[in-house]
Amino acid sequence: MDAVSYPQEAVAEFVSTRTVPLRIPADAQPHATNFGVRWTPTLVTLDRDGTEHHRTVGFLPPEELIASLLLGSAKCHFDAGRFSEALTEFDEILARHPKTDAAPEAAFLQGVAGYKHTHDPKPLKAAYEKLAAVYPDSPWAKRALPYRLL
Amino acid sequence: MPHHQIRWETELSQALARAKAENRPVLLDFFNPG
Repeated sequence: MDAVSYPQEAVAEFVSTRTVPLRIPADAQPHATNFGVRWTPTLVTLDRDGTEHHRTVGFLPPEELIASLLLGSAKCHFDAGRFSEALTEFDEILARHPKTDAAPEAAFLQGVAGYKHTHDPKPLKAAYEKLAAVYPDSPWAKRALPYRLL
Repeated sequence: MPHHQIRWETELSQALARAKAENRPVLLDFFNPG
């Protein structure tokens, strides 16, 4: 991460302007035990109360890292019921980073957040249709299968 | 284009205080100390 991803300008800008970056050695206690760290790098997205909402283990190239961090931020909003803010960030992932590993999960959660925000099932069906068309081999396409019946 | 350099916090409590003040999530990177 230090050699490839963090030095990239786009990554450094995103990390510096959209997150509060915190580095802790993987053997530092009590954090390593409290967060169940088993390998490095382990990247965890925390909300401002310290609650975990997203985690990755292993190297991420620059665009994957930005998309994953966006997903983490969106999931903080989603889990707190801030669906409008979550939708804005899911949209950003799908518009700017559609080929990343984070995109199918963003498409799925976009549908769920849209439903929870509006109580209209159309976003769920739209999520299924997008996943089936664009990310048919993704596990998230399988999870959205029931929504085709809506 | 401005050059950004990541300024890492090293204490969880300070990072959470900043997260509250700046309304941002925390990126916690557990790294290999070597």
